[in-house]
Order: sequence, then C-alpha cells, then structure tokens
Amino acid sequence: MKYLAIVAMFSMSLMAASPEVVQYMKELETAAKTENRSFSGFDAARGKEIFTSTHTGKQGKPMACTSCHTLNLANPGKNALTGKVIDPLSPSTNPQRLTSTKEVTKWLRRNFMDVYAREGTAQEKGDVLTYIMKN
Amino acid sequence: MKTLLNISVAALILAGGAYLYAEDDYEEHEHRSSSVVAKPMTKQDKTTMALYQKECGACHIAYQPEFLPKRSWDKTMNTLDSHFGTNASLDPADHKTIQNYLATHASRNDRMTGMGGEIAMRISETPNFKREHREVAQKMVTQAEVKSFANCAACHTKAASGSYREREIRIPNYGSWE
Repeated sequence: MKYLAIVAMFSMSLMAASPEVVQYMKELETAAKTENRSFSGFDAARGKEIFTSTHTGKQGKPMACTSCHTLNLANPGKNALTGKVIDPLSPSTNPQRLTSTKEVTKWLRRNFMDVYAREGTAQEKGDVLTYIMKN
Repeated sequence: MKTLLNISVAALILAGGAYLYAEDDYEEHEHRSSSVVAKPMTKQDKTTMALYQKECGACHIAYQPEFLPKRSWDKTMNTLDSHFGTNASLDPADHKTIQNYLATHASRNDRMTGMGGEIAMRISETPNFKREHREVAQKMVTQAEVKSFANCAACHTKAASGSYREREIRIPNYGSWE
C-alpha cells in the first residue's frame, strides 16, 4: 500500500497529472489508436499548435485557447468575454490543474467548441493535455 | 453578526420578497422580516449552492437566482450549449441539480412586466434592473474595469455574497455612489 502511494506520488510529479487523469489519458490513447492506425503517442509540439493557433470559433470570430489563457500557462488568464480572471493552467504553478477527469473533460468539450466550433478528437485532446502537462 | 445578516437575508428571500435590489431602504426590509424564522440550510443545500457557485461562477459571478423567475432560468439551462456565445454545457447530473436549485430560489415575481412577453435572459434586461441603474453613466459601465452590466461585482463590492447595498458600491475610477 505504502509502495503504491509512493509510486502514485512519483508518477504524479513525473506526469503532472493525477492518477485519474493519467487513466483518462490512457483511454484517450486507446481511442486515438482506433481513430488513426498510424498514431504513435501524444505529442506536446502538436498540442502547442492546437493551443496557440487561431481558428474561427463558435461565434464566427477568430479565437484561440490563448485568447483567454494567454501564451504563458504559468500566468493567470482572463475570460475574453467576461473579464473574469482564470487561474493558471500550468500544473506546476497551479496544482489543482489536471487532477479531476470530470473537470478536464468538461473544459475540453466546452473549449474545443468555443475555439474550433467542433469537438476535439481523442488525439487532439491528448496532445493538448500533454502540452499543458509540460508547462 | 454576519450570520445574523445571512439569516435575515435568507428570511427576506423566503418571505417572497427577493428584494435584493432595493436601494438603502433595504435595511428597513431586513428589519421588518427579521421576525421571520429562516429554515437553516441543510448540508445538502450547502453542497448544492457550492456546486452552483463553482460551475456558474467559473466564468462570471454566480448571479443570485432571486434576480430572475423560473422561466428565465429554465430557458438559460435549456440553452447552455450556446450560452451568450459560449459552450457552457454541464454533465447531466450537475445540470439537473443546478436547474432544480435555480427553480427553488428563483424570483416569485415575474420581473418581466413591460417586456412584451419576452423571457429575460439577462438580469440587466429586466425593468427593475433598468430602474435601479438608470442614473449610471454609460462610460462607467463600458470602461475596461467593468465591461458591461453583467459584471455586478465590479462595482457592488459584496455582490458575491448577495449584498447590493448602495453604500457598498465602488465604481472603478469613479468611487462611491453619490
């Protein structure tokens, strides 16, 4: 039990995501393989592109994840519509991040819709989470 | 004192007044209703309120449900996929809990008299709100620190706790109200 806890803590610090979110990412990995036969693992560089590129969002206007979260994930962001401050996304700055699958899936669903006007694919979700984890 | 205040605010709401919006005659209402014994919040009530505040307060102030009637909240909750231009969808269990919470605490007054049958989606569309804010200059509202009337807490310093007294108002760059 103690050993398990140590392993869990170690993998948390290594992965910058809680065991339940790590488990969710494994599920995304399985789904990504089904979506794309040549899938060979999540990639932070692809995730960065997803996160920083501008798209025609839900409102038909140019929008990026960085419109609210800014380019530096260690900094607080600001909701572009309401002005409300958003806590930093970086798990090393804000340990609350990537600890709840419920939160992670909710925001991925909402924010892909707002920025891309569609759901993200499993690969895209995994890539962007991998990018966030490394920041 | 704060607890007492909260209880009397709750009593006020239960009394059917939902008079969060009164100006400084607010205190009088509070006194009058202080004899009404408010039901203490159960643990479940507190959990539900915390859920509402967390979910709806993630992007904007968690507006007190007393500001709009049930049919406004129902319309809001039924269109969360496209909520003022963003996707604010919830998981089904939370959706149901929050919709019930809003229905329970919604204003008992229609609040939409004179709106030509429109269902208000914004508190700021309601005649009561407009009347209360009629003397507020446009430039005070549109300035960067406020953005719009949706941002209650920009000026109402205790909005988050449901208190909108005139003497608590601090308008950024303009200060107190009169």
